[in-house]
Amino acid sequence: MNKVMSDKKVIALYVLPAFLLLMLLVYIPIVLTGYYGLMKWDGIGSMEFIGLENYRNLIVDSAFWRSARHSLLLAIFSVISLIGYLLVSLVLSGRIKGADLFRKVYLIPMLLSSVAIAQLWMRIYHPTNGVMNRLLTSIGIEQPPLWLADTNIVLYSIFIPIIWQYAGFYILIYYAALRNVPNELVESARIDGASPWQIGYKIKLPLIAGVIKVTIVLAVVGSLKYFDLIWVMTQGGPNGASEVIASYMYKQAFTTYNFGYGSAVGFFLLILCLIITYIIRKLTATKEEVQY
Amino acid sequence: MFKKAFTLLAVLLLMTVFVLAACGDDEADSDSEPDDTGTVDEGTDDVEEDDGDSGEDATEQEDVVINFMHLWPQGSSPDHKRIVDEIIAEFEDMHSHVTVELEILENEQYKDQLQIVSSANQLPDVGMTWAAGFMEPYVRGERFASLEDILDDEFRSSFVGGVREAYEVDGVTYALPLELNIAPVFYNTAIFDEYGLGAPETYDDFLNVVDTLVENGVTPIALGNRERWTGSLWYMYLADRIGGDSALNNAIDRSGSFENAALIEAAEEIQNLVDRDAFIRGFNGLTDQEAKSEFMNENAAMYLIGSWDLPNYTTNEEVDQEFRDSVNFFKFPEVDGGEGNINSWVGGPGVGLFVAEDSDVKEEAKQFVKYFVERWGEQAVVDAGVIPGTQVDTDAVDLPDLFIQVLDELNNANNLTLFADVQMSASVAEVHLDLIQALFGNEVTPEDYAKQHEEALAAEE
Amino acid sequence: MEKDHKPSSTEKPVLQKVAKLFLYTFLIVIAVVQVLPLVWLFLFSLKNNQEVFNLPPLALPQDPQWGNYARVWTEGNIGQYFFNSVYITASAVILTVIFASFVTFAITRMKWKLSSLVLGMFMVGLMIPVHSTLIPLFNFFLNVNLMDHPLAIILTYTAFNMPITIMILLGFYYTLPRDIEEAAIMDGCSVHRLFFQITLPMTAPVVATTAIINMIYNWNEYVFVNTFISSDKFKTLTVGIQNFIGQYQTDWGAIGATLMISILPILIAFFILSNRIVEGITAGSIKG
Repeated sequence: MNKVMSDKKVIALYVLPAFLLLMLLVYIPIVLTGYYGLMKWDGIGSMEFIGLENYRNLIVDSAFWRSARHSLLLAIFSVISLIGYLLVSLVLSGRIKGADLFRKVYLIPMLLSSVAIAQLWMRIYHPTNGVMNRLLTSIGIEQPPLWLADTNIVLYSIFIPIIWQYAGFYILIYYAALRNVPNELVESARIDGASPWQIGYKIKLPLIAGVIKVTIVLAVVGSLKYFDLIWVMTQGGPNGASEVIASYMYKQAFTTYNFGYGSAVGFFLLILCLIITYIIRKLTATKEEVQY
Repeated sequence: MFKKAFTLLAVLLLMTVFVLAACGDDEADSDSEPDDTGTVDEGTDDVEEDDGDSGEDATEQEDVVINFMHLWPQGSSPDHKRIVDEIIAEFEDMHSHVTVELEILENEQYKDQLQIVSSANQLPDVGMTWAAGFMEPYVRGERFASLEDILDDEFRSSFVGGVREAYEVDGVTYALPLELNIAPVFYNTAIFDEYGLGAPETYDDFLNVVDTLVENGVTPIALGNRERWTGSLWYMYLADRIGGDSALNNAIDRSGSFENAALIEAAEEIQNLVDRDAFIRGFNGLTDQEAKSEFMNENAAMYLIGSWDLPNYTTNEEVDQEFRDSVNFFKFPEVDGGEGNINSWVGGPGVGLFVAEDSDVKEEAKQFVKYFVERWGEQAVVDAGVIPGTQVDTDAVDLPDLFIQVLDELNNANNLTLFADVQMSASVAEVHLDLIQALFGNEVTPEDYAKQHEEALAAEE
Repeated sequence: MEKDHKPSSTEKPVLQKVAKLFLYTFLIVIAVVQVLPLVWLFLFSLKNNQEVFNLPPLALPQDPQWGNYARVWTEGNIGQYFFNSVYITASAVILTVIFASFVTFAITRMKWKLSSLVLGMFMVGLMIPVHSTLIPLFNFFLNVNLMDHPLAIILTYTAFNMPITIMILLGFYYTLPRDIEEAAIMDGCSVHRLFFQITLPMTAPVVATTAIINMIYNWNEYVFVNTFISSDKFKTLTVGIQNFIGQYQTDWGAIGATLMISILPILIAFFILSNRIVEGITAGSIKG
């Protein structure tokens, strides 16, 4: 058994193609981003080596740290919202008539491109014509919030569509995981008189713990480098109130021609993701050992 | 049998990977042949593309391809695109060995792509650029070619005064303008008439207009300040009318300081307007298009924007005729006791054409740019509603009144201040634009606003 | 609410019935909310630029602009884009899912020293921001002569989706019971046979899941396409949207029509693949 399952040739055959592709297309950019981060470069002409100066500037760049705080906040919100996605998936995976149809319908918004989602939410948030404010004025609120213009709330206004956008993604994963739970286990618990809630909590959840762990990492890393909707809806504004690391990096690299500095931000983002992922894995590791 | 299927699959997968290393599946192989024999060695990809299209090898030796990248796609800018295609066809007819290959990208993607291809020294032979701060890194990086040799006296004098100069770096011209815009305040005469208002002649009149509209529950000004340069226009006019045309220019070119009383006063005046509810609710979160639609749906009475918007108020058939007839414009009024003149405008050229320094077809490319700018100048305003950088004879063209009036104003202008964010280097422009949003949002005091500008400008000296 | 429910054959307690009613009301409300964006997009595509901004999102346009669709079809190369989108998306999805399944299988099922290191390296691939990769990849494709070639896009999609696909697969492979595989090995089954005949069918639901996720990502991607593809004949549907973005003004109705056209094939593919999530497990248990 062990011999068959540790055949070097087979392992190489299975892993190498993907690994080569990864090395060429993902690691070359990663290494080069680190390298450009050591340069003074506008991303247009010639570059000049300046050592760690970009990183030194980064440490004291308050605009960068503000964007980093916003990204971390998004990561926290995304992880919390995983609970909601999980609940919906639990309900859908239960024995409910029409669950299959519900599930499909729920995932439809996930198919929309960011362009469409941004346009939709800009209509919802419009200060006077928007769905939200029309609703609020109709119930008598005279000065409804300026969702995308008020620097105190714009960040949260933008989190909502992001979390909504990704609902389908996670529900899909959780649903598939829950379908994988062997029926016999659920049946025998039911016969023992367990309530649907107990079946979900005591039997299904522990069995998909591995998947939940993965989604936590995905949610955190995905949030830390999130760019799309923020860029289309506010471009990080007003005055940086909704700036995140990726939009800050983009502005530095492409709008203001500090490509070297932008690369340093990009590389720092990678390091940040690595550290946080490591922490998450450490924190969740014990569970895994119990499980398997 | 199973083994066979697996072997097949494994071979397939490995092949895909090695295709990458060996760089060529069937298509790439057949494509790469011509460029071994071709005369052109830079930008080979684009040559391949051409071969793929025509499939003829016979004439290839003498053929020259000019790659031209622009940002006027058929869908959004059919008139622009048609003129471009016509000019290209004419040029190709005149020079039978030349083929012009197009790549068209939308505005934002265009800017990114220009930087990416430039980083690899792969700029198209001819492309579009913006003036001053945008193009300077390209010139410093020796990516754009000097166009001085095609600027004979006659061609040089055909540009509107001061417009070509916006594309100069250290006195050398690196691009030639295709567009010129000034920013008038458009207003809805129907709304003005309803409340007995006329076009304001002084700034006090203007404040009175604002107050009257606010009292009557009408939004005075549509402003989409998410883009930020839109708010910058308002600030620039106030700075000009209070401090004269030199105040802001001197601060930016460092012969003066941004912490100038007039520049601070202009900032105070912006916040005064905000406090009077002059601008539409939520302006800092609105895009320019959203704001424009408020003006065009007659929910707001005034809208300060570049003259590129003129077609919407004149020739655009999609817009209600009655609305178009009701739109007029006024010049930003003079401020009492200020040093500004009413004939001083904020504006400037939009895109211009450059030739890549490393182009293999530099001579042909320069000739193409010259021909393009000349022909564009003859057709742009009539056929696409774009005011070109070259002079337009208003007597000779048949245009809607509003256009003629703007063109006349352009001729009477005694000063044209280039958009601040274009004048400044890209990173200072970013500081300026963010500060504009902060100023309008009452998040920065006028003094701090000036101080932070001064610091950013001084840091680059 | 309570009095609303019909007096039917009550074998279950009333409380449970009420709970069920609540649940369904809740599920239906969410379903309606989730379908509205599609309705909105459809109405959006029939509006002109004025109505897009002025009318409430779900209001009917006064004079439906079917012309938006006509324009989208006739202007530009949308048929070609469509074809390109389909084959580029399909190739990248297939490559990604197969490669990722191989890797995940090797990492979770086979024994080798470097497995956790290799897994870690794949995970790092998740963490690089897209805009950092553009200039390096541009240079890379230039050097290997793949610039302006569809393969550049297919390989990029495959490489960049690989980490997330592997991670999703990983969670499932961990939960997969090993006894079936162990028994198969005991019976003298080869690794390849084990992978293709036992493991792959058992993971069909998650393979379908990752295929859906990959498909959506590839279908809507435009940054890589714009950067690596310059000829019109290789561009994809997302480029069709750009066609209507102007220097100062954007034609939103036409963009809506393009979005509407481009969502249809992916909607169909989604419904088909989505069924596999349910079917997979049954097929897997029969095999087992």
